[in-house]
Amino acid sequence: MLGKLFESIYSKVFVAIVIERSKSVVYIQISSKKHTPKNYHKSFEDTEFTTTMREYIDSFIGESPFSYICVLDYSEEQGAIPTCSTKDMSAFGDFSASKMMCHENDWAYYTSVSGIETIKKTYAGIGVDFIFSSFSILSSFFKDKIETQLGLFVLVEENYITVGVFDKMKLLFGEHLYVGHDNNQDEMMMDSSDSEIDLDLESSIDLDDIDTMSDIDGLDDFGDIEDLDAIDEIDEFSQSQDDDFLDEEDDFLVQGPSSFNEDYQRFTAIQNSVNRFYKDSKYQSKFIETVYIADAIGVSADLKTYLEEEMFFSVFVRHIDLGGEMIDLAKAELK
Amino acid sequence: MKYSYIKPRKKSVISAELKLIFSFFSITLIMLFLTYFFLFFKDYRFTQNIEDIKQKMIELEASVQKMNSQITFIEKEVQLSERISTKNTVLKDSIANLFDLVPQRITLSQATLLKNGLILHGITPNKDVYNFMLQAPLRSIFHRTYSSFYESQNGWLKFVSTNYIDEEELSLESPRYEEEKEVDDED
Repeated sequence: MLGKLFESIYSKVFVAIVIERSKSVVYIQISSKKHTPKNYHKSFEDTEFTTTMREYIDSFIGESPFSYICVLDYSEEQGAIPTCSTKDMSAFGDFSASKMMCHENDWAYYTSVSGIETIKKTYAGIGVDFIFSSFSILSSFFKDKIETQLGLFVLVEENYITVGVFDKMKLLFGEHLYVGHDNNQDEMMMDSSDSEIDLDLESSIDLDDIDTMSDIDGLDDFGDIEDLDAIDEIDEFSQSQDDDFLDEEDDFLVQGPSSFNEDYQRFTAIQNSVNRFYKDSKYQSKFIETVYIADAIGVSADLKTYLEEEMFFSVFVRHIDLGGEMIDLAKAELK
Repeated sequence: MKYSYIKPRKKSVISAELKLIFSFFSITLIMLFLTYFFLFFKDYRFTQNIEDIKQKMIELEASVQKMNSQITFIEKEVQLSERISTKNTVLKDSIANLFDLVPQRITLSQATLLKNGLILHGITPNKDVYNFMLQAPLRSIFHRTYSSFYESQNGWLKFVSTNYIDEEELSLESPRYEEEKEVDDED
């Protein structure tokens, strides 16, 4: 009772820390019942938790005792399975060393306990209140689509891709994939001349093509199915129902020399993932027509093109503000 | 709904420093209250003791008064016993003196001591022996002396001698006698 009173008096400070490939971004939202929320964010040229980052966060969390630190789980051991039942879980692997979270008694996402402890240890200086899974971010962000449609939902970050196949709220398949590059490789590319970049791109495409040829061959069967469908209707569907996505698509057309390679890698990862979904008998296989991409980094149009042309998906891209989304989840959990 | 792998830490308006200060003041206040209640209890006990002592004092005073009255009574008894003892001694001496007064030729058969008199019954060979040897000393002691005779079977005379001391005359003779008498009356 007294706690509720104090909560109404004090404003709440939400801090979301997003780690990217070469920098960290701290999102801060100060919300109170009387005033509109104030948002701040600052980038730090370090992926580790530094003292400057801590000082910046401390300057905000000192304002209110009700401050919450949100972190996204980057553990590679995380994933999602289409069941909450402990009996059925064994079919998907050994989860004895994992922390399971059941989502609406329908499907579950998990991560390693050691990963959680590592995050807690990393942020021991300021403490952590929420550690969110990419799957909870994805399901929350596309809640309006997941509830009604069958599709492939992808959260694209710089180093990771989170893939989930949902059929009207029910998860059919889920994977969290690392698609990061070595920083040294990136630096070498940045230092090289334009011609050299072109050469690198070509060589990288060739290599990737060679790697994925077998996978593409394996998708021949659903290529036939694609032919049976009316592609025009899909396009019409996309235009009529998802105008908001089309507007957002214009924002991600900025391409760098390395984004082409990265986007192709992301495409390959998604392709492999879809292949696993179709081939693995553990998962209830359903034909995917639509892909919804939550873009956290501003992917190039290439990814959309690859998905549309190579896999015949209807692709919709929606930009996601990871920090804001984490803060929204934290707020939802506190309610 | 739960989204996070961990629960948020409990938030408290009171910081660790404030908690320390509050706990310090709380302990101080508790100690003060305990001291206050201890002193209050002690004061109550002290007042109770005072009341008890007062009550005991009253009881003791009553007891002392009772004992004083008993002492007075005992002292009076002692005085009385002493007086009786003295009187007995005097009486004993008087009887001894009386028997000393009686000559060998006269035999007393009964002697009655009165408060202010003496009645003697006895046998005398004749009146002269009685008059000269017994009546004369009796007259010197008593103010009034009456004698009566009657013959016995063996020819001797039985006599009854009644002797009185007049108090009025005695007071005239000795003022101290009055004082002694008053004391006797009080007893």
